[in-house]
Amino acid sequence: MSELLLDVSQVSKTFTRGGLLSRQRIVAVDDVSFQLDARRPEIFAIIGESGSGKTTLSRMILNVETPSSGKLLFDGTDLAAIRTSASRMSFMQKVQPIFQNPFESFNPLRRLERYLFMTQRRFIAADQRVTPEMAVDAALHKVGLSLKEVSRRYPHELSGGQLQRVAIARALLANPKLIVADEPVSMIDASLRISIVNLFKTLRDDLGISIIYVTHDLATAYYISDRIMIMQKGNVVESGDARTVLKAPQHPYSRQLREAALLPEAATDLSVSMTHLTSPRASER
Amino acid sequence: MLAETTQGYLPDEALPILSVHDLQAHFRTDRFGVKRDVKAVDGISFAVRRGEIYGLAGESSSGKTTLIKTIAGAVRPPLEVVGGRVDFAFLPSYGGLHRAPAAEVARIRWRHLSYIMQGSMNVLNPLRRLWASFVDFAYPHIGGSRKQFEQEVVAHLARLRLDPSVLAAYPHELSGGMRQRATIALATICRPDLILADEPTNALDVVVQKEVLGMISGIQREIGSSVLLVTHDLGVHAHVTGRLGIMYAGRLIEEAATAEIFRNPLHPYTRHLISSLPRIGDDVPRQGLEGAPPNLADPPPGCRFHPRCPLAMEICRCQVPATLETAPAHRVACFAVNRSAQP
Repeated sequence: MSELLLDVSQVSKTFTRGGLLSRQRIVAVDDVSFQLDARRPEIFAIIGESGSGKTTLSRMILNVETPSSGKLLFDGTDLAAIRTSASRMSFMQKVQPIFQNPFESFNPLRRLERYLFMTQRRFIAADQRVTPEMAVDAALHKVGLSLKEVSRRYPHELSGGQLQRVAIARALLANPKLIVADEPVSMIDASLRISIVNLFKTLRDDLGISIIYVTHDLATAYYISDRIMIMQKGNVVESGDARTVLKAPQHPYSRQLREAALLPEAATDLSVSMTHLTSPRASER
Repeated sequence: MLAETTQGYLPDEALPILSVHDLQAHFRTDRFGVKRDVKAVDGISFAVRRGEIYGLAGESSSGKTTLIKTIAGAVRPPLEVVGGRVDFAFLPSYGGLHRAPAAEVARIRWRHLSYIMQGSMNVLNPLRRLWASFVDFAYPHIGGSRKQFEQEVVAHLARLRLDPSVLAAYPHELSGGMRQRATIALATICRPDLILADEPTNALDVVVQKEVLGMISGIQREIGSSVLLVTHDLGVHAHVTGRLGIMYAGRLIEEAATAEIFRNPLHPYTRHLISSLPRIGDDVPRQGLEGAPPNLADPPPGCRFHPRCPLAMEICRCQVPATLETAPAHRVACFAVNRSAQP
C-alpha cells in the first residue's frame, strides 16, 4: 500500500495531425503533476475550457490514453506497467468513470439492470451470502434509488438525473477508490443538479471515495471540491485549496474564468450585469 | 426603423410586440390504436414588450422549446395547436404564424421575426459558404445592389467582431464561438422587431459565452429589437434578461422582473431553483428537490408541481391554480402563495 492514491508526475500528451508535409503537433497536456492522498479522501476539481486538456488528462488517469512522457502511479503501480488482463481488471475495479451525458453512456436498447448485473458479475467475487440482486440493490440505495424502480426499465424511461444516479451506482458496485467524473452535471437539469453534487459529497464523506471532478462550472466546483486545478491549453495555471483559489484567483486566466462565470448575483447587483458590460466594470468583486 | 410600414400593416406602438394568450400545443399521436396526447404547452399567457429582453427558464421537457417553435410557426405533426392564440404587433391578427398564409410568413420571417436556434453547429448548411447563407436569408429582404448588400453585411459582421474573411469560409472552418456569432449576425442583419433565441449559448465555453451574450444584448440595444431568450441556465437570465418567466411541466408558473425573481421568488419551485444555485463565497449546504418532473403524457391532476411541493395542500391535488398577479408586475400560479385564488 502506498500513501499516495494517485501520483501524476510531469505527464504530457501530444497528438500529431496532418500528413507528412503538413504535420502539426498539438500539446494537449503539458507537464502536469498532482497527487491525491490515500488516507484522506477528497474531491479534486480540474477546471478549464474546452481544449484545455482536462478531458485528455482524465482519460490518462483512466488509463485509456497513454501519456507521451511522464508517469502515472495509482496506488503505487505504474499505469504503463498494466499489461495482463488480470491487472487491468483490478485497476478498473479501483478506478471508475462517470461520463457527461447519461443518455449517451447507456445503450437505449438495453435494460439498465443489465449494466448493473454485468458490472457486479465482473468485479465482485461470488459470495454465497450476498445474491447479485442484494448487491445491486445496495448500490442503488447509496444513490437514493432502489432495484424496484430501475428493474426492467430502459434508459428513456428515466430522467437525466435518475440515469446519472444509475451510472454512479454502477460505478459504486465495483467498490472503487477513485471516481473520475467528466462534467457529470452539465447535462442535468437545474432542479436535479444539486442533488447529484450533494451525492458526490456523501460518497467522499461516508464511503471514503476520492473523486476527480472535471468541470467548467466554477460555482459547483467551489461548492464541493477541496482542491482545484485550473488548466489552460494543457498547462496548469493555478492550483490549490478551492476556497482560496476561487475567492482570490491570482493568475490572469483564472481571473478571466472567474469573471466570465455567470453568477446569479448579477440579477440583483447592477454593477456586474450585462448592461454595464461594454464599459469597464465599476466594482471588482 | 419602421420604414417597412409601407408594406401594408401599421404597427401600433403601444401594443406589445408579441402576446401569447392561453396557448395550448400538444403532441398528438394515434398509432396502432394507442392514442397519446402530450401536453407540452398547456395554457400559457404572456407578453413581450417593445425593446425588452424577456427570459423563459425551465428544465428540459418543461415545454420551452415547443413554446418557442409554436410562436415561430414551426408547427408540424405530431405537434398541434389545440387552443389559444399568438399575436404579433407586425402581423394582422391571424392568431399565430402557423395560421398565416405562406406569402405572409415569407415576408415576416427574418425581416420582423428571426430565430437563433439551439446548437449553432447544425443550423448552417455545411456545404455552403457563409456568404451564400447570407444571400439566401437576407438578400430578398434587404434588396439593393449586391455591392451595397455586401457592404452592409461586412459592416454588420464588424459589430459582432467578425472578420469579413469568414464570409468565404465553410461552417466547419469556424470555431464554435465564431459560428454562433455568425448565426447571430444572420438573425439580426435585417434588424428584426423580435428575435427568438433558443439556448443560444448552450454549446459554448464560459469565456465565449459571456462574450456572445454581451453581443446579443448589445445588438438588441443598438437596433431596438425585442428578444425572447429561452435557456435553463439561470446565470444567463441573471445577466441578460429584464423580465423572466419560469416554466414547469408546460405551464408558466411565475413571472416578474428578473431582479425580483432572484430577490423575492414566490412559487415553491422557483424558490427552490434560486436557493439551490451554488455561489462562490457561500458555503451553506444546498438541498436537492425530491422526485422527478412529471410525464407530460399523463400529468398529475391539479397543480403539476404538487407531488414534489413542500407546501402541497388538498386543493393543489384537484384544481389548477390560475396565474395571478400577487404583487405589482409579479404573477404566480400557486394556491399556497395566492390565498385569494382559493375558492
